Amino acid sequence: MDAQLRRGLLDVCVLRAIKNEDSYGYKIIKDLKPVVELSESTLYTILKRLEEAKMLVVRSVEFEGRLRKYYHITNLGHQRIEDFMQEWKELMKVYNFIAEDK
Amino acid sequence: MNKKEFFALFREELSGLPKDDLEERVSFYEEIINDKMDEGKTEEQAVAELGSVESIVEQIASETSIMKLVKEKYKLKRALRGWEIALLIAGFPLWLPLAITFFVLVFVFYVLTWLLSIIAASIEVALISASVAGLISFFALLFTGSFELAPLGVFLACTGASILFAFVCYYAVILNIKLSKGLFLGIKKSFMKRREK
Repeated sequence: MDAQLRRGLLDVCVLRAIKNEDSYGYKIIKDLKPVVELSESTLYTILKRLEEAKMLVVRSVEFEGRLRKYYHITNLGHQRIEDFMQEWKELMKVYNFIAEDK
Repeated sequence: MNKKEFFALFREELSGLPKDDLEERVSFYEEIINDKMDEGKTEEQAVAELGSVESIVEQIASETSIMKLVKEKYKLKRALRGWEIALLIAGFPLWLPLAITFFVLVFVFYVLTWLLSIIAASIEVALISASVAGLISFFALLFTGSFELAPLGVFLACTGASILFAFVCYYAVILNIKLSKGLFLGIKKSFMKRREK
């Protein structure tokens, strides 16, 4: 897959993984596993990028005597998902047009 | 490799990164290793699943801009003292030419890595010129009334050779781009590793 496209898709995938409830690194990887194989270093980069874009915020929570970072989606993050859905609705029209041709 | 060994190597390879950036990465991987161990994996297993330190370093290198690494490397640890500033200004005629020489040398070395492509492109240009020259001579001679086969032969041979050689050029450029990328990655990696002390 084209690197640029993949990056955009992964961003939204990660946002989706924290959309309904806050999540942490390992859980995000596990949740996304059926859809997309994500390495730890790739996830780190994505989380960092989304944090800088203010699409998520990070908070540290004490868990069994150690700290765990939880990622919480912001309004901007929700907006990104919405935009993505809109963009792909348009794209699917094109896709269907291309796929129809026999 | 256990956690301790993994992070010792990790910290060493990435010691040139900004301190808070490095610590943030360490705690990110540490949390994931702990989570995997909570799930019942052994420490070795959890570490192994992260992949090699080398591959992580490579990925970080490809994502970090070289300017950021250079800036971090030459960041001043403290403000300059008065006499240091004075020395810097007084030594200006000395260090400026040295700095310029340094950058020119770096530039020349970089251009040298493109030598292969430059040679290939030159040969290609020569072949194309020869083929055009052959064609022109052929017609020129024809107009003066003499039918000469030699220029026509030159034209055909050089045209054929130039088409074949275009492929050589193409692969030379591809090879050079790869070389260039590898070189940049290597430079970045060396910047991420602090050598002093």
